[in-house]
Amino acid sequence: MVAVQDKNHRFRTYDQQLMEETAVEYTVKPSDLPAPPKEAIRIVQACSRSGIDSRDLAQLVSNDPVLTAELLRVANSAFFGLVSQVKSVARAVTVLGNRALRNLVLCISMRDALRKDSIPGFDIDAYWEDALWRAVSARTLAGLAGVDADECFTAGLLQDFGLLVMLYLRPEQVDQWELLATATPETRRDLEIELFQCTHDEVGITLAIGWDLPADLALAMGYHHEGPPEDTGEQDVRLCKVAACADWMAAVYRSGNKRVAVQRARELLGEHFAASPEQSDFLLQQVTESVAEAATAMGMRVGEQLPFEEVLREANLRLAEENLSYQELTWRLEQTLAERDRLAGELERELELAREVQKSLLPHCEAGIPGVTGLNLSARAVSGDFYDYYQLADGRVAFCLADVSGKGMNAALLMAKSASLFRCLGKGIHDPGKLLGMLNREIFETSIHGMFVTMVAGVLDTVSGKVLLSNAGHLPVLHMGPAALIGSYAAAAPPLGIIHDCQFDNQAFTLDGGCLYLYTDGLLEARTGDGRRLEEEGLLRLLKEHSHLPLASRPAAIVNAVVDPGGDVEDDLTLVVIEGTKVHGLR
Amino acid sequence: MAFPIEDRQGFAVIALSGEVDLNKSPDARKVILACLKKQKHVMVDLSAVEYIDSSGVASLVEGFQYARSNHLEFGLIGVSDAAMNVLRLARLDKVFRIYDSLDERLANGS
Repeated sequence: MVAVQDKNHRFRTYDQQLMEETAVEYTVKPSDLPAPPKEAIRIVQACSRSGIDSRDLAQLVSNDPVLTAELLRVANSAFFGLVSQVKSVARAVTVLGNRALRNLVLCISMRDALRKDSIPGFDIDAYWEDALWRAVSARTLAGLAGVDADECFTAGLLQDFGLLVMLYLRPEQVDQWELLATATPETRRDLEIELFQCTHDEVGITLAIGWDLPADLALAMGYHHEGPPEDTGEQDVRLCKVAACADWMAAVYRSGNKRVAVQRARELLGEHFAASPEQSDFLLQQVTESVAEAATAMGMRVGEQLPFEEVLREANLRLAEENLSYQELTWRLEQTLAERDRLAGELERELELAREVQKSLLPHCEAGIPGVTGLNLSARAVSGDFYDYYQLADGRVAFCLADVSGKGMNAALLMAKSASLFRCLGKGIHDPGKLLGMLNREIFETSIHGMFVTMVAGVLDTVSGKVLLSNAGHLPVLHMGPAALIGSYAAAAPPLGIIHDCQFDNQAFTLDGGCLYLYTDGLLEARTGDGRRLEEEGLLRLLKEHSHLPLASRPAAIVNAVVDPGGDVEDDLTLVVIEGTKVHGLR
Repeated sequence: MAFPIEDRQGFAVIALSGEVDLNKSPDARKVILACLKKQKHVMVDLSAVEYIDSSGVASLVEGFQYARSNHLEFGLIGVSDAAMNVLRLARLDKVFRIYDSLDERLANGS
């Protein structure tokens, strides 16, 4: 719409240079257009000249005997309803006046501008039948819009002339006529873009300029869809609005979707002319009643003329059908949502059960063993980490901490299996390395998707403080004294479940008053206040800071230093603390 | 596929990059297995890996296990420090065949 101002200016001045610019803008160039009816246009222009003598005008018309005969026939028709019959051109000019004469000449000459056989395979009368409905619709709006009736009729008749020109230029698209004729005005324009890569209003304006048609009609032809430029005169704006309404009023009878057409026609009539729905329906009724008379006057044919009540019935039927399918759609959606909620509830209950089963696999605090404690937080409903400790028959304490690769339900299931194997086999095999070897073979045989388990398993002699532990691919176990790190026991073998035959060596040492810290990567990766991961250095600092706390409250205090209590964690996080000889000394 | 594959001197070279975590691991797994099903020699280039978690390692382990049971070659090249730390800590540096580059692998033979 950049060139709106220019376009408007052009109509007033008919500036040749600007006309050429327009030609570049549109797909259809003025040079592509069919030849204009030059004689008729000369009369039309003479009608608009101020001070033209009526005798000169009559003489000009008389020069074209075919036009003269047709003019007298149309002017005397019942539809145009002159008070008395006019038998001569001179009389017609006087009775009609210049403006009405101009409009009649335009209607007749435009109707005959393209010969009936000028578009191969296309019946031009079919186009004019379509145009006539718009012309009659526009004419019924004359009183409401305060625009001359003949002016309205002419605008309505010519407003879609661009489409006829498009068919003339691209006759291979004539097969699409039915589709175009039964589309609503909106859909018709979309179809035009698809079929012709331009629209009838664009081509209409190019033609109006190329053929020197009067500016008011050119505006109606070019701006009945998008509205005229801002500085257009009030009367011309009203004519554009008449054309816009006429488009939808005609669609009430012509288009395949009567529901949309009736609704849109009522809306537009209300918007442009403050017409009530009842008033709109009355006008629509008038269209179908007067179209036959107009057809006779214009020498055009007209097909079926449905009474408006019948159109309304059809529209309401369509509405009911649409409502029905809408209701069905809503019902289905409600059903689907209910089903989704039910399944989500079921899944939540299943997860809750899984969570409970997992919790039962961790050691119970109340059945606690002095000197050992642990804590587990899971990133999801279920965890891939676990720890365990229990007393062996000889009084020593077996312990473990493990992390299954990945997260979620598959990790949780492998965690359950590994935890059960540890508890079951560990009661018979007291050598941590051998125990891990056996667990490794069991897990390797059934593991899928490359899943593996990193695990530290150990045995603590609470009397002597001696520890025997084996680390399968897990993070180093930290041995902390009251003020400093005493030792770090890194993995000596890969995680469980990767290689079938693998040796897991033991590492032996004595606690010597220190503590053992076993943890999973969830703790190292937890974010500190500055957003960075804790890493081992940060963990060592935290462990030192909290070393004075009683064992029972220490894991939670350490974890809470990096994780908001009750907040979510990014990864499963587990910490086990083993305090050796101090406990033993107290016992 | 999120990770590019290059054909180099009879090897399919898969370049993993960025953070290979729970979000990206399924893609890495798919690419690795798809390559092993088509080619006998597959190398995973880890030079642009900034972070790899256990699910990422699991996709490498799966490739390793698949190659082993199907008598295919599977190795890692140009392992970044971040990835190497993870592999070393878990003693997986002793499990995977690791080369500085494809050239090193070509120079040494299989």
